[in-house]
Amino acid sequence: MPKVSMPKVSVVDETVPAMTGRERVLAALGRLPVDRTPVCNPTSVATVELMDLVDAPFPAANRDPELMARLAATGYTELGFDTIMPVFSIIQESSALGCSIQWEQKDNWPTVRMNQPIWKTADDVHIPTDVLAHPDMRCVLDAIAILKREYGDEVAIVGKTMGPWSLGYHCFGVEPFLLMTLDDPDQTKAILDRLKKITIDFGVAQIEAGADALTLPDHATGDLVSGEYYERYLRDLHIEFAQAIPIPLILHICGRTVDRMEYIAQTGMAAFHYDSKNKPAESMEIIGDRISLVGNINNPETLFSKGPEVVREEVYGNLEAGVPLVGPECAIPLQTSIENLREIPLAVRDWHREKDQAQTEPAGSNEPSRPAN
Amino acid sequence: MPPAITDIGSRVELVSLDPHFHDISIALYEQRPPATGYVIHSYSSYEGALERVEYAAEAMRILGGMISTEGDPRGLRFACGSNHLLGSKRIFIEAVKILPRSPLEQRPLAILDKKSGLTIAVASEGDGAYRVTANRGEDGGEETTDGGERRVAIAAGGLARLGQMTPLEGSANRVGFECGHSHDALVGLLLTRAMNVRAVIRELENAAARGVLAAPKGM
Repeated sequence: MPKVSMPKVSVVDETVPAMTGRERVLAALGRLPVDRTPVCNPTSVATVELMDLVDAPFPAANRDPELMARLAATGYTELGFDTIMPVFSIIQESSALGCSIQWEQKDNWPTVRMNQPIWKTADDVHIPTDVLAHPDMRCVLDAIAILKREYGDEVAIVGKTMGPWSLGYHCFGVEPFLLMTLDDPDQTKAILDRLKKITIDFGVAQIEAGADALTLPDHATGDLVSGEYYERYLRDLHIEFAQAIPIPLILHICGRTVDRMEYIAQTGMAAFHYDSKNKPAESMEIIGDRISLVGNINNPETLFSKGPEVVREEVYGNLEAGVPLVGPECAIPLQTSIENLREIPLAVRDWHREKDQAQTEPAGSNEPSRPAN
Repeated sequence: MPPAITDIGSRVELVSLDPHFHDISIALYEQRPPATGYVIHSYSSYEGALERVEYAAEAMRILGGMISTEGDPRGLRFACGSNHLLGSKRIFIEAVKILPRSPLEQRPLAILDKKSGLTIAVASEGDGAYRVTANRGEDGGEETTDGGERRVAIAAGGLARLGQMTPLEGSANRVGFECGHSHDALVGLLLTRAMNVRAVIRELENAAARGVLAAPKGM
């Protein structure tokens, strides 16, 4: 598949005819003109209420492709986002590699039992030849195929393939893996190099199933890893992914990451899914027009705990800073209210309407009228 | 086709997993002004889900002394016209815990405080004011101040915190509702939790922590 070259502009252009969600998202990821800023969720927007609405609860919706697709589709059909992202959790690859998974109940996320690592050294790394046939991998591929068939003309279908740093945490344990990065950089690099195959293979398989873009979480998070570490261990690997996986990639890293945004901007990824710990304006200043930014709407304090007014403020903050795609900063808490999630696309539309009105009204007409003396 | 999402107000409380009915979620929605009161709702289309929700509403009516909103068996409000948000959230949480079809009855205005062996009682003084006392004796009828002041203060503080009640001037054992109306059922319900507010907060924090996907934590 040929790689699309990316122009250096990203603008909302009122002369652009109305776009479908898919066209809008792909244009914004390519920094092409759009009719309005797309609302994009590179990670899950599933909630317990949406699970009830379509009778697709966790944990089954993480393991059954029909349920996975049905729940994911609510991001578009009920919330009004321009994307559908069916890979709610981060455990598929690790499950296929042999990690122990705690599947949890409807109201909690399946997680990898990272206190039960499966490997100790680079020599232990083994990716089964039939890894894509593992039921948890197959589930994602089948769900993407269903969504592509049902919604592929309307919205962007976003898949997910985990990066080797995250898989390192899962397979070696967080603490042993981080200690290894200090004590044995060569072995760490060997591990990352061996794990990258599953990132690429799963990504390409999702493209073949119908994915329009892929989120690539690689949790070199701000709290655990420095920007210098990112440059040392991950920048070149991420460049390799951007070259090997022929659709737009959205890199996801949690936490405060401005110290590595310069390196991230050099990777050739289409976008960076960034956390609310980074201010939109400072992030845009670093990233410029080299890649797109997406995300930033705070999960625990805003979407989960506050009301639609605060959600709206954060959406407006991103739009004012010129962030090209708006959405939650990470997988939203499962108890998030539908009202808050629906506020994101509403706020985006209102912001554009207000901007359009301000442009068409004569100068000075926005000044408040004064009472007559 | 799934049931449509309609504007039923602002969600103010959620039980993610109903242990008594297929693990469905049930939520309390506060009506938008000028309307007052609440609606209990579940998006589940399980057969029997509506009856489950209606039972929870009935439990809120009895446990919290609320009344039905006209024409909606899932709608609730206080007769005083105030929403009493914190109190309503607590009533909702307690109502959903009750096994459906169990007999429902209002909680008494007195409880045995196991820690002190005293009976902590609350009495309405009218106009929304309540007075907390500690009582000795098998029937809890003999008021005492001997060792009971601290427990009374804890109970009054707990009621104020859980029920958005205001401490009344000049006394550590009197609290009141700003609406100026009595809410005996609500006070009886809150009294069972007022002696251990920390446990209530812990319960809420645990519920809030579930379902939040945290980034990997380090060493």
